[in-house]
Amino acid sequence: MVTASISLRDVGRTFGATRALAGVSLDLKHGVTGLLGPNGAGKTTLLRLLATALPPSQGKVSVLGLDPEVPAERTGIRRQLGYQPQETGFPRGFTAFAFVDYIALLKEWTEPAARHAEVRRVLDLVGLSGLGAKRIRAMSGGQRRRVALAQALLGAPPVLILDEPTTGVDPEQRVTLRTVLAEIARTSVVVLSTHQTEDVAALCERVIVLDRGRVRYDGPVTDLTGQAAGRVWLADQPDPAATVSWRTGTGRYRNVGARVRDGVEHVEPSLEDAYLLLRGGSAEHEPAAEAAS
Amino acid sequence: MTATLAPARPAAAAGRARFAALAAREMRRFVLNPVFLAAAGLAAYELWSGQRGTVTEIDGPNTVAAVCFGGFGMLAAFWLTRSMRASEPVVGVTPTTLPVRTAALCAVAIVPFGCGCLALLAFLHSHPVGDPVYGAFSPPARIAVLVGQIVVPSLGGPLLGVALGRSVRFPGAPFVLFLLLSGWMILVTALTQARPDSAPVAVLRLFAPFALFTLHSDAGVTAWRGSPWFFLGWQLALCAIAVLVALLRGAEGPVRARIIRALGIAGAAAVIMLMLAGTGGFTHAVTT
Repeated sequence: MVTASISLRDVGRTFGATRALAGVSLDLKHGVTGLLGPNGAGKTTLLRLLATALPPSQGKVSVLGLDPEVPAERTGIRRQLGYQPQETGFPRGFTAFAFVDYIALLKEWTEPAARHAEVRRVLDLVGLSGLGAKRIRAMSGGQRRRVALAQALLGAPPVLILDEPTTGVDPEQRVTLRTVLAEIARTSVVVLSTHQTEDVAALCERVIVLDRGRVRYDGPVTDLTGQAAGRVWLADQPDPAATVSWRTGTGRYRNVGARVRDGVEHVEPSLEDAYLLLRGGSAEHEPAAEAAS
Repeated sequence: MTATLAPARPAAAAGRARFAALAAREMRRFVLNPVFLAAAGLAAYELWSGQRGTVTEIDGPNTVAAVCFGGFGMLAAFWLTRSMRASEPVVGVTPTTLPVRTAALCAVAIVPFGCGCLALLAFLHSHPVGDPVYGAFSPPARIAVLVGQIVVPSLGGPLLGVALGRSVRFPGAPFVLFLLLSGWMILVTALTQARPDSAPVAVLRLFAPFALFTLHSDAGVTAWRGSPWFFLGWQLALCAIAVLVALLRGAEGPVRARIIRALGIAGAAAVIMLMLAGTGGFTHAVTT
C-alpha cells in the first residue's frame, strides 16, 4: 500500500496585514480528509499551500517527502498532484475534451493515444463522457465543476487536493463522485474542502475544522459527531438553552446545545450538529480573514 | 461510469518531447486564430494583386506583409498568451513551468516567420532584385532591406505579442502598441523627409522594429541613410529581448539569473546595432 503523506509544521500564511493561517501542524496520510470551516477560515489558503500554488509565510510544508520551496522538488510534487481550485476559469472556445487534453499535455502525457484514452477515462469518471465535444462556455455550473474535477483526476494522482468539488453538482453525481474519490483514496491522499457536511460524513475518515486560520478540531469524523451525542433534541419551540436551533420540515425545532440535556426528545446527531456545536453556533466570521481566503 | 480508476501514469517525459508536443499544440491554436487567418488571407491577396499592378517603390507592399504577419501576428500571439489566464490556478500547478509554456508560445512565431519567408519569395518573384524600385542599394543590401521589412517583422511581431501577454494585463495593449509604433513610423518618416542627411534622424528612424529605407518621388527613388544589415542585427536583438522578457516571467533561481544576464547582452547588442545602423550605409540620401 502506498503511504503517500503530507506534513505541515507550524505553517502560517499572511496576505499583507491579514493572517489567513497561523501555526498549522498536520500529518496527512492516504484516505480522504475533509476540511470544514466557515468562510474565511483559511481552507482555500491551506489547499493552495498543499497544491504548491502558494508558498507559506512561515513554517515547513512537505508533500510526498519533497519540499515545494525547492523548484525541482516542486515540479516533482506537481507530477504527482491533482488540484481542483475553488474557482476555475476556462479559455474561450475550448470543449471539455480539449481543455482536459491540454492539461494532460501539461501534465506530461505527450503520447497522443495514451493521453486521449486518459482524457476519456477521467471524463467518464465524472459523468461527462457524452459531453466531451461540448463547449465549456455552454455547460452548466455543475458540469463545469466536473470538468475541473476531471483534470484533477488525470493519472490518478497520489495527492488529490479538491476545493469544494461538489458545489453545484447534482445529488446523483455527488454520490458517483464520492464513490470515485473513495476508490482513489485507497492509495492516495485526498484532501477536500467543502461546506457540505454530508459529503464529509459520507466520505471522510478524518475531518479538520479550521477557524480563523487555526485548527479547531482534527480527528475522526465519528469522534466529532460523537461529541454532539445528547446535545441535539427536538422541541415544539426554540429552546433558550440551545446554542442554535432551527425549524425543520416537520414544523418542529431542532436544538443543538453545549450542555447535555435530560428530559427532552434526543435525536441522533449529525456531523453538521457537531460542527455547529464546535463553532458555538456562531455563523459570524472575520471579514479580513475571508478576504484572504 | 465504466472507466477504470488506475491508469498507467506517464513517465516524466523527456523535456524535449514535452516541449515539442506543447509547441505543436500552441502552433495549431495560433494558426486557427481568426485574426491570424484573416491577416494571412489579406497578405496573400495583396501579394497576388501586387504582382499584377505597377509598383513604384518597395515600401508599400512590404508594409502590408509586416502589418499582416507582424502586427496582426502580435495581436493573435497576445490573445493566445492571455487565453489560459483564467485557468492559471489549474495550469500553474502542472509540472510544466511557466517559462516552458512561454517558450512553447514563442515557438508559434515559426508560423508567421515561415509566412514571411514565403512572402519574401513571392515579392522577389514579382520584383527581382535588379528592379529600379530598390533605389541605390546594392543587390545584397536590397535583400537585407526586404528581409528586415518582410521576414523579421513577421517573426518579431508575434514574439512581442507573447512578451506583452506575459507582462501586461490590459487586453488592448497590443492595439495601443500597434498604434504607437504606427505613429512613431509616420513621425520619423516625416522627419527623415525634412532632414534626409541627418545621422541622428536616421537613428531615430531606425529606432523601431520596422523602418522604411526608400522614398519614391518625381525625382526618382531616394535611398535613405542607414545600414540595412545592422538594422537586421538591431531587429534580431529586439526579437531576443522580447523572448527573454517573456521567459523572465516565472523563472526562478539560476534560470532567472541566466535570463537576466542574456537580457543584458541582448540589450547591449541592440544599442550597438542601432548606432551602427544609423551611422552605417550611405552617408547621405542618394536619389537615382
